[in-house]
Amino acid sequence: MSDAAAPAQDDAPRPPRRLTAILGSLEIRMLGLALLLAVVLSLSSPFFLTERNIFNILDQSVVIGIVAVGMTFVILTGGIDLSVGAVFGLTGILLALMLQSLPIPVAIPLTVLAGAAIGLFSGVLVAVFGLAPFVVTLGVMAIGRSLSFIFSGQRSISGLPPDLDAIVYSSFLGIPANVLFLVALYILAWAYLTYTKGGRTIYAIGSNFEAARAAGLSTMFYSIMPYVVAGALSAVAVTFSLAQVMSADPMAGNGLELDAIAAVVIGGASLYGGRGSLIGTLLGVLIMVMIRNGLNLMGVSPFWQGTAIGSIIIIALLAERLINWRSTRA
Amino acid sequence: MLDTKDAISSPQGQAARATPLLMASGVSKSFGKTQALRDASLILRPGEVVGLLGANGAGKSTLSRIVSGHIQPSGGEIAFDGEALRLASTRDALGRGIALVAQETSLAPDLSVLENIFLPSLATPGRLSYSAMRARAGEILAGLGHEHILPLHKEVRTLSAAQRQLVEIAKALSLDARLIIFDEPTASLSATEVDRLFDVMARLRDGGRALAFVSHRLEEVFAITDRVTIIREGVSVAEDVATSSLTQGDIIEHMVGRDIGAIYSARRPREAGETVLEVRSLRALPHVRDVSFSVRRGEILGLGGLVGAGRSEAVEAIWGLRPRQAGEILVRGKPAKLRKPVDAVRAGMGFVAEDRRAQNIVPDLSVRENMLIALMGQHRGFWRGYNRRADRMAALIADLGLPADRLDTSLLNYSGGMQQKIIIARWLLTEPDILILDEPTKGVDIGTRSSIYRLLQDAADAGLAVIVISSDFEELLGLAERVVVVSDGLTIADLPASRLTEEKLTLLAAPRTSTARNQALLQDLVQRHGGTAFWTLIDGEELICLATAGGRPGTELAPGEAARADETLIPAALAVRAETFTPEADGARQTLLTQMTDRRGHDLGWIGLTLPGDVDPPPVADVAARVHSLTRPEETE
Repeated sequence: MSDAAAPAQDDAPRPPRRLTAILGSLEIRMLGLALLLAVVLSLSSPFFLTERNIFNILDQSVVIGIVAVGMTFVILTGGIDLSVGAVFGLTGILLALMLQSLPIPVAIPLTVLAGAAIGLFSGVLVAVFGLAPFVVTLGVMAIGRSLSFIFSGQRSISGLPPDLDAIVYSSFLGIPANVLFLVALYILAWAYLTYTKGGRTIYAIGSNFEAARAAGLSTMFYSIMPYVVAGALSAVAVTFSLAQVMSADPMAGNGLELDAIAAVVIGGASLYGGRGSLIGTLLGVLIMVMIRNGLNLMGVSPFWQGTAIGSIIIIALLAERLINWRSTRA
Repeated sequence: MLDTKDAISSPQGQAARATPLLMASGVSKSFGKTQALRDASLILRPGEVVGLLGANGAGKSTLSRIVSGHIQPSGGEIAFDGEALRLASTRDALGRGIALVAQETSLAPDLSVLENIFLPSLATPGRLSYSAMRARAGEILAGLGHEHILPLHKEVRTLSAAQRQLVEIAKALSLDARLIIFDEPTASLSATEVDRLFDVMARLRDGGRALAFVSHRLEEVFAITDRVTIIREGVSVAEDVATSSLTQGDIIEHMVGRDIGAIYSARRPREAGETVLEVRSLRALPHVRDVSFSVRRGEILGLGGLVGAGRSEAVEAIWGLRPRQAGEILVRGKPAKLRKPVDAVRAGMGFVAEDRRAQNIVPDLSVRENMLIALMGQHRGFWRGYNRRADRMAALIADLGLPADRLDTSLLNYSGGMQQKIIIARWLLTEPDILILDEPTKGVDIGTRSSIYRLLQDAADAGLAVIVISSDFEELLGLAERVVVVSDGLTIADLPASRLTEEKLTLLAAPRTSTARNQALLQDLVQRHGGTAFWTLIDGEELICLATAGGRPGTELAPGEAARADETLIPAALAVRAETFTPEADGARQTLLTQMTDRRGHDLGWIGLTLPGDVDPPPVADVAARVHSLTRPEETE
């Protein structure tokens, strides 16, 4: 530590700056942003705040929300998984093919297992062989997309068993099953990251791998595990998607990895690892979906959506950096 | 090292002091709300070395960085060479002839030594003449002392810390710097390297440059500086005072602002319990070749040696952070299979690694979680296990004086000393039997240091076996009851601290490569004349044997062991210490002792040759001449 940062007599940390105190934690700021967006959109479109549209937004959040959980795990360790979109596509094809001959309760677990296996492959290459996550998952992404074309014979597979839609269109207390699943997943994953040894290890690995290792944490296991979770959750997400669309497309999930990374980053996670939360990620997902939904309602060309979401990412990061600057430079 | 002052201190004394090159007064600097400097002054004159002292966080680095253009002052006046000095950047400062040689050097690791020396010129337009640069670099390095011929084509990343520093100095000289600030330059150097650096600094001073030396190692301040300026809490509390007029106590008092008394609390008599950790013939190449030691309950064991001798690497290998090729580790008498850190944690060990920021602190976790992380590592289970030792946690927090409402902030907001105490508490919370600390007071100011010593003494009192690694031999001797010396990856001595001094420890810790010559000399003497040859340190009645050769007749001296003269078989010779063959009372042995000194007159110990009493001794002059011609390691290297 430099002389400037730590006067010897000052062992008590500085009180937080007023600005930061008012704005509170990152999650509170993100919640504020999400609410602001909701207000703006409901003023711009009378359809935005209807019950139907709210369920629409939640429904559209399911796929990206599930994938973003896995991405949060990976990013918290300081890694990145570019293959989730391709794994989504490939496992979708695998599920559709399996459903041609296997019953649903067998085919779905096998699909999830396949996703987990692909994640295990990436995780081992990253953690055991020390390869760069970006490069490893870029490779897996290319392989995954290529295999989905080969397995599908370059076309969509339809003719899925009609019972499949039960996992989406059943409901409990009026809430659709897929939305319930999303909520339950976030609560479980949040509790895992906050209260368990594994969860805290994931944070510690991303924050300081060497220190986590020296303190006796299982750094190897928990460096691999997030990729397994990401792969498995991609397969879970495609299951919900298939149940809605009732057909598997080899191009499905194209660009999904970027949406998931964007949601995690908007949610305040650091790409260097160690910092971020699932609450932030969930808000990031909702913000992205609301922007898309709102622009659709206002009849804006879908080609503008990228510009809007990209701007939000950059503005959110910039605001965060400016706030941090003020508090660390003080 | 203490007495180097006589050899290299400035000859000019008080007479005819040059006009100041740099005069800074009332300098202030604030970073946001933090006032790093309030009213700091500094005067530097050509041909003088000024020590810039202060506890951690006092502002000495801030002042150096202002003078060298790294940061701009908020207020105050600085005059350089009679003109007001306003620096916009370090480049600006270099242009004016002001350079900073920092602890972490600003070299480009992938470029060669030559390119680094002329790095500032690389940025100027025009073609570069490599041959002219090579010639100039040769000149500069020669001016720094002929022993420092650096291979100019070598990549800087392959150099040692000391060599990098030399490149940094040469870089400053390539710009003809008239004022050079050395910011904690000795932090990662061995004792020999520090000596060499001081030689270079003395040359620069005698060449009429103004030097500032930032440090908190007091012995070094006395060894190299002519005058000192002491900063406390951003204010100069002693300005431009002659070093010779101060005692260590004066300086500490100025730095801390109060008399802190003995920083090593008096060692309480403790009953050493059973051996809890024993390491046998540990090998973890390339740094650790054969390390053995053991430690008992209630004991503080010092692991001494130079940086790079293999001490840290040995404990990292024990901790499972480095692969081991051989060796046995016994915990509480039973062989322990320590493959990963978690094995050691669960075997009841704790480890505060050397690099606080890189190996200990988890910056994104709160202070509380940083304290709990090792407990979690120890815990077997799905949940965090944070509440397992809530009482102990509360007691530790109270002990450390941590405000309970600040436990959820970042550890990085605390001073280095508090961070270190929190890391130590992290391991105390696991209630270990063995606690290993690697350089526990590195970068910790004197005030906090004594509280860390107390923490360790208390831990030993409570029955822990404590192992402390330190390059600060004063600290090692003040803290430990027993010291194991590691050199070149070998344990070479295991001695009670009461029989050691800093000088003896320095000699014991010297790299074996430089003592290989002495070993060869002993072998040679035995081959020519028979008998037993030995190399020993003598302090009154106390001996510490460094090496032996031959074996007959015996002397009862064994390498790495201490003995009293009357415990050996050659007490008469050791009492006389004459450069003749002195016979013992029983006539069975006769011994020649020759003292070795380096060119500065440092005692390097004695070479002895013991022959049976009944043989005709060889001519004394021959033997003595061989010893003197061969045993000037510093000169011949």
